Amino acid sequence: MSTRQPSTAEESTADRTTADPVIRIRGLRKSFGSLEVLRGIDLDVTRGEHVVIFGPSGSGKSTVLRSINLLEQPSSGSLKVAGVEYGPGLPGEPSPQRGKVLQLRRTVGMVFQQFNLFPHLTALDNVALPLRSVHGMKKAEAQHKSAEALHRVGLLPRAAHYPTQLSGGQQQRVAIARALALDPQVMLFDEPTSALDPELVGEVLKTMRLVAETGMTMVVVTHELGFAKDIGDLNVFMEDGVVVESGSRGFFENCVSPRAREFIKAVR
Amino acid sequence: MGFADYDWGLIWDNHQILLDGLLTAAKVSVIALVISIAGGLLLAVMRQSKPPISWIAIAYINVFRGVPALVSVIWVYFGISLLLGVNFTVFQAGVIALSLLYSAFMAEIFRSALDAVPPGHREAGQALGMRSSRVFFSVILPQAIKIALPNLGSMYIGMVKDTSTFTVIGLLEVVRVTQNLVSQTFQPFVLYTAAAAIYVLAAFVIDIVFRLVEGAYARPPRGAVSQVLRSRQRRRIEQLMAEVGR
Repeated sequence: MSTRQPSTAEESTADRTTADPVIRIRGLRKSFGSLEVLRGIDLDVTRGEHVVIFGPSGSGKSTVLRSINLLEQPSSGSLKVAGVEYGPGLPGEPSPQRGKVLQLRRTVGMVFQQFNLFPHLTALDNVALPLRSVHGMKKAEAQHKSAEALHRVGLLPRAAHYPTQLSGGQQQRVAIARALALDPQVMLFDEPTSALDPELVGEVLKTMRLVAETGMTMVVVTHELGFAKDIGDLNVFMEDGVVVESGSRGFFENCVSPRAREFIKAVR
Repeated sequence: MGFADYDWGLIWDNHQILLDGLLTAAKVSVIALVISIAGGLLLAVMRQSKPPISWIAIAYINVFRGVPALVSVIWVYFGISLLLGVNFTVFQAGVIALSLLYSAFMAEIFRSALDAVPPGHREAGQALGMRSSRVFFSVILPQAIKIALPNLGSMYIGMVKDTSTFTVIGLLEVVRVTQNLVSQTFQPFVLYTAAAAIYVLAAFVIDIVFRLVEGAYARPPRGAVSQVLRSRQRRRIEQLMAEVGR
C-alpha cells in the first residue's frame, strides 16, 4: 500500500507484500472532463483480506471501487485482478494486453448503495437471472441455487416477494445473495448501508459480517466506522482523489494524519 | 325534424356491415401495432446509439411524425407502388402507411421509457457479468415496456381512428362502409352517429384491454387473470422454499 504518509502498521504491511494480491492497483487515475477525481491510487488486496475505504464525500472512494470492476474506465493506471491486467496502463509504458471485461466482472461481485434489484423479478429470480445468464444454468437448477443463497442471508421466506414488497435492509440482503451466488473471488460493497433507515442498517452489517467470516475477500466503502473497525484488516482513508493514510487493525486509534483523525472524530 | 324522427333502426339493420368495417379496421391496426412496436423499439435503440446510426433514427422520427395518415396512405398506395412497381392491396397499403407513421411515435415512447429505467439497474446487470444484450432484454426492456404501456394504449386508439382516413383508397373500414350505406339510405346523421359510437366503444374496449395488460405487468401483478397465471409460479417457489428450508 503506498500512501502519502507512512503506514501505521509497518509489520503488517510487510506481511501483506509477501502475499499474492487478488487485486493490485498501481497509479490509478480517473478524470471526468477537467475534473481529476483519482490522482494516482496504489492498493493491494490479498486473498481473504477485508479492506475498508473511507473518507469524505467526493474523495473518490466510490470511484476506486467502481474502477475495480470497470464500471468506471480508469484514465490511466494498472489494475490487476486475479493475475489478469484490465487497466489502460501507466503513462509512458506500452499499452498492456488486457483481459475481457466480462471475465473481470464474473470474478468480482458488487453490492450497490441503492441495492439495484430488478423490480420486475421476485427475490428468487433476481438471484436466478444472473446464474442462468452468466453460468448458463437451467431454470430449475438456478432457482434451487438461488433459494440456497437466499436461505444463507435468512430471506428464503421472502423468495416469492418482489423488491417493492421488501424493506430496504431485505433488498440489500437479496442483492448480497445475488452477488454471492455467482461465487466471486472478491466482493465490492459501495456504501451498502447509506440508503437505509438507521434501524435497518444492523441486519445488513450482520449479513456482511457473515460473508466476512467465510473468508471472502472484501473491499468495502462505508461510513460505518464501528463495522470497519471490526472487520477491517486494511483501512484506507482517502481525500481529494488520493490515499491520505492507511493501516491495519488499530488504525482508527493509531492513525497519525491530522485529517484522518479529524474525520474519524467527526463521524463518531 | 326531432331526434326520434330519424330511422335509428337502420343501425341494427346494417350492424353486420358496420361491424365488418370495424373488423377490417381492427385487423389493419393490430398488424400495424405489432410492426410499429418492433420498428419503434429498433428506432429507439438506434437513437440511443452513436452517430451516424442515431442520425438515421432522428431523421426518420422527425419526418414520419409530421406526415398525416391521409397523406401517408395516398403516398404508399399511389406513390410507392408506382415507384417500386408493386401493386399493394388497399389492406397492405393501410398496414404499411400506419406502420411507417406509428413506428416514429412508438420510437419516442420507447425512448422515454428506456430512459426512465434507473441506470443503476443496467450497472447491476453489468456488474453481475451479464452480457449487454442479456441486460437489455432481461432487465431493461421488461421495465421499459411496463412504463410504456399506458402510452402504447393511447397510441393504439389513435391508430384505430386513423384507419378512418383509409377510406380515401377504398379500404372497407368503418367510414367507408358508412359512406356506402349513406349513399343507399340518405341517412348521414344516423349512420355517422353509429360510426362515431363504434370508434368510442372501440377506444373503451382498447382501454380496458391495456389496463388488464398493465395489471399483469404490475409487480406484484394485479387482477384476477394475473393472479391465476402467477399461482403456478408461487407454488413452484413455495415448493423450493420447503425443499431448501428443511
